[in-house]
Amino acid sequence: MVLTLISIVVPTLALSACSPSNTATAPTKPRSSGAAVTTIQWAAGTISGTGLRANLIHQFERLNPDIKVKLVAEANNTDTTRAQLSATISGGSTTPDVYLGDVIWPGQFGHQHLALPLSDYLSKSYWNRFAPGLVAGASYHGKVYGSPWFMDSGFLYYRKDLLARYHLPVPTTWEQLKSEAAILQGRHAVRYGFVWEGASYEGLTCNWMEYLADAGGHVFNSSGRPDMNTPQALKALTFMRSLITSGVTPSAVTTFTEPQAMNVFNDGQAAFLRNWDYAYSNSQTKGQSTVIGKVAVAPLPAFAGHGSTGFACIGGWDMYVNPHTQHLSQALRFIQFMSSLQAETKLATIASEIPTNYAVQQNPEVRKLNPVLAIVSKTHLIARPSQTPKYAQVSQAIYTNINAALAGQVSPQSALQQANQQLANATSTNAL
Amino acid sequence: MIAGYLMTAPALIVIALVTLFPIGYSIWMSLNTITSTYNGFQFSFNGLNNYVTVFQNSMFWQALWFTVTYAAVTVTLELVLGLLVALALNQPIRGRGLAIAVMLIPWTLITVISAQMWDYIYNGIYGVLNAILMSVHIINVPVLWLGSPVTATISMMVADIWKTTPFVTMIMLAGLQLIPSDLYEAAKIDGATGWRSFWNVTLPLLRPSIGLAALFRILQAFGLFDLPFVLTNGGPGTSTTPIAMLAYKAIFNDGNFGTGTAVAVATVGIVIILALLSLKALRTQVGEIE
Repeated sequence: MVLTLISIVVPTLALSACSPSNTATAPTKPRSSGAAVTTIQWAAGTISGTGLRANLIHQFERLNPDIKVKLVAEANNTDTTRAQLSATISGGSTTPDVYLGDVIWPGQFGHQHLALPLSDYLSKSYWNRFAPGLVAGASYHGKVYGSPWFMDSGFLYYRKDLLARYHLPVPTTWEQLKSEAAILQGRHAVRYGFVWEGASYEGLTCNWMEYLADAGGHVFNSSGRPDMNTPQALKALTFMRSLITSGVTPSAVTTFTEPQAMNVFNDGQAAFLRNWDYAYSNSQTKGQSTVIGKVAVAPLPAFAGHGSTGFACIGGWDMYVNPHTQHLSQALRFIQFMSSLQAETKLATIASEIPTNYAVQQNPEVRKLNPVLAIVSKTHLIARPSQTPKYAQVSQAIYTNINAALAGQVSPQSALQQANQQLANATSTNAL
Repeated sequence: MIAGYLMTAPALIVIALVTLFPIGYSIWMSLNTITSTYNGFQFSFNGLNNYVTVFQNSMFWQALWFTVTYAAVTVTLELVLGLLVALALNQPIRGRGLAIAVMLIPWTLITVISAQMWDYIYNGIYGVLNAILMSVHIINVPVLWLGSPVTATISMMVADIWKTTPFVTMIMLAGLQLIPSDLYEAAKIDGATGWRSFWNVTLPLLRPSIGLAALFRILQAFGLFDLPFVLTNGGPGTSTTPIAMLAYKAIFNDGNFGTGTAVAVATVGIVIILALLSLKALRTQVGEIE
């Protein structure tokens, strides 16, 4: 009898003892029963195709027995995911409670009230755990909307076996990359030289930002006016097009998103690949790659005479909270766990992602296990112009026109003119 | 008479709720500037401003032109092919049931799935189509089917025709089976050969079915979305962006609910006119027969 009493009382005590500390930074909704298990929904895409999400959820649930996390799959590309989330949340849906969203969303999602301003609910000290610059990137008009989860940037993946066999150095300029790729193709070592993401979608904007910044160009000038019709931009676009016309890059690249580029590289058909962090572990996964042990990673090249390292577009994914959630305190506990040392270490070692938690990023043990992380300090980062609620249109003005030029439909010159015009429309009116 | 209306009232009310309400709400949205807040949408009436924006935008006209061309080509070809297949299947041949079942497979597949399949077929690197054409030496280098506006449009049309011809065939086949066989006997007695009996008996009597198939197909073709969504995302550039995708991008990517619904409503207007025209054509044909 006494035993049963204790077994009922003790868990309740334990729960009530730990709940204030866990939710000190968040407004708690009174719950009728302390023992009740709450289920929250987390929408997230696959990360490196590994079992990372389930692994992390399992760990979180062990530490928080009163919360269950239900995983909801997101689409495999950022544009579709955004469309689904914005339709769901603007329609007032209370789920998903937490979602993984692109780093470029705070402007639009903050403006359209599709994400909760987390800085209103989490203490100031929470944000100290992140690597410099990340919190600013997740903010819009002074409020933080996303809790950074992993950082992404563009990298150059190359076949180290082929470069060694033909005595070629790792390219540090675009011109060098192009000529080395042509040499390897000429020796029939590979079918294609260099693959990247050139389809008409967000990923092309990322690729474009890298060449554009390398050539010294920009999308908007310092006073915020569209300024992409410049000699620098022309140099960047002409070079990208020349990759295709010279045969170094297959013309099919104008239909490539990440998976297609990855497949060609994993299939051993390309010497060089531009892709994100995950590509390293993806290329080393049994059953989906024929180039295991033959791949190395380097910073992206620069144009000759423009320094020794090129720019890499900043990407990455943040944890956002649905403003209509019915389980706010649980959602906040979940995102706090996901940026913790423990979760971020898993993220960095199981998947080759760059952790946003600064301590994990700097940990030499973690760096040893993640070759991408080891070179991240050498890259120059360039952000997309996403600090505007109109970013979707801005990006569309960029990628549709760059894609048309890559496909040879229009000249680089007129593509840039057209893009500049559409950028002006996108930022000024409610245009389509 | 009144009893009849009363009996059908529940059904009519349900239909009105699920069709008229969304349509009315869309029209209302298209007349407002809409901002999304934590408490839902905030409307502020702006008259026809959204329509002015839409009609002044060259992208709208480009997407409309693409959709109209696409609808005209695919519907015409599907009607011709559907009729030919239906005529063949209307013959008392062996294994007809099996043939009909096999023919229906493309129609039963969900479009995003069959589109994914076509994406593999058309792929510029490992596509089946290129492999076949190269092995029989029709082409020497792989063609990037989805990489230029003309080939991408044609590729999409082929996938559409492959998928939807069975639907047209079924309507035509039903129409063919309704034609009384004594008419053909009479035609035979009058000395009409195969071609003449087709021209003077089959085709006129089949016109209601053709009109119906055309109506359905035009409506569907104007809603074109899934094929380009999977195959090209509207590219290269914006050359294969249909009107529905334009509305989708405006609403869900850009959050421009007002202009997006204005695109949708303007399109509905155009489609209703086309539908009324084909309905009218259909009615006169029915009248002629009676």
